[in-house]
Amino acid sequence: MSDELEKSFVKQLKENQNIIHKICRLYTNGEDAHNDLFQEITIQLWKAFPKFRGESKFSTWAYRVALNTAITLYRKSTRTVSTVTYEGQKHFLSQEDYNHEEEEQIKLMYQAVQQLNDIEKALVFLYLEDKDYTEISETLGISEVNARVKMNRIKGKLKKILNP
Amino acid sequence: MEELDILKKAWQKDTHSFEQVTEVEIYKMLHRKSSSIVKWILVISLLEFSLWALVNFAFNTEDTIKSLHAESFEIYLKIITYVNYAVVLWFIYNFYRNYARISTTTSTKQLMQDIIRTRKTVQHYVWYNLFMIFISTLLGFAMAFIYNPNMDTLRYQIEHEDGYKTLSITICMVVATIAVFVGLFWLFYRIIYGTLLRKLNANYKELKKIDL
Repeated sequence: MSDELEKSFVKQLKENQNIIHKICRLYTNGEDAHNDLFQEITIQLWKAFPKFRGESKFSTWAYRVALNTAITLYRKSTRTVSTVTYEGQKHFLSQEDYNHEEEEQIKLMYQAVQQLNDIEKALVFLYLEDKDYTEISETLGISEVNARVKMNRIKGKLKKILNP
Repeated sequence: MEELDILKKAWQKDTHSFEQVTEVEIYKMLHRKSSSIVKWILVISLLEFSLWALVNFAFNTEDTIKSLHAESFEIYLKIITYVNYAVVLWFIYNFYRNYARISTTTSTKQLMQDIIRTRKTVQHYVWYNLFMIFISTLLGFAMAFIYNPNMDTLRYQIEHEDGYKTLSITICMVVATIAVFVGLFWLFYRIIYGTLLRKLNANYKELKKIDL
C-alpha cells in the first residue's frame, strides 16, 4: 500500500481516535483489553481503508468498522462484563463536577449499559454519540424502524436493570 | 429515558479523558503483524519437527537395517538422528526467543533488528535442513550400495566388467537423485518460509520508512 494512503489514514485515525477509545471502553474491562481492542480495530480499519473512498465522513465509516470489529471479532471470554467496571466510571467522574445525585445516576446507568449484549451496546453507543436513527440504522445495517424498536426495547431493559 | 440522557450528556463532554495515541504508535500498530509472522514461523517449525519425528517412528529404520545386515551403520544413523533432534530443537528454541522478543518490542529500531535476527535464524535453519537431507540421502545410498543384495549385480559389474563406465553412470544417477530430492525440499522451504520471510521483509521496509 502506498505511503500516501498510509499517511492519510494515520492522520485521520489520530484525529478520530476518541471514537475508538469510547467503543473500547464500552466493550472491555481494564486497560489491557482496551488497548488490545484498540489495536485490533486499528488493524481492521487499515485493512478496510482502501475501500473507504470518502463517500461518508471518516468518523461515520470508522463507527461501522469499529463496532463490527468489537461485536464480531473481539469475542474473548476474558471480556465478560458481569463484573462491575470501575475503569470506565473513573473517566466520567474524575473530571466533571456533577452533583452527588447526578454522579450516582451516571454511575448506575453506565453499569447498566455494561450489562447489555454486544449488539445492544452498539445501539446505545451510537445513541450516546447523538446519532439520529437514520445514521444508526445505516451504521448497523438495519432498518430505521428496526433501530427504533430495538432502542425502545433497550430502554426498557435498562429500566429493569436499574429498578429490579 | 432521563437517566440515559444524563449519561449522554456526560458521555459527550467526555472527550479528553483518554490517553491519546500518537501517530508513531499508530504506525507501529499497523506493523505489529511482524509478531504474528514470527509466530507462524515458530508454529510451522514445530509442526515440521513433529512430522519428521512421526515419520521416523512410523518407518522402523532398525528393521530395515537388520534385514540388510547393515548393523555397523546403525550407530551412525542413531548419532545423526539424535544430533539432528538436538539441533532442530535448538532452532525451535531460537524461533521462540525471536517471537518472544518481537512481541514485546516497543521501539521501531529494536523491532527492525529483531526482524533481521529472525530472518537469519530462518535462513540458517533452512540451510541446515537441506544439508541434513543431503547427508542422509547420501548415507542411504551408501548403505543400499554396500549391503542391499539387489545391488550385487551392479557391484559385480563395477568390479569386473567395464567398471569405469558403470561406476560413472551410477554416480551420475545418484547425484541426480540427490539433487532432485534436495531441490524438492528447497522448493518446499522456499514456498513456506520464503513467503513468511517476504512478508517480514516488506514489513521491515515499511518500518524503515517510519524510523524517525
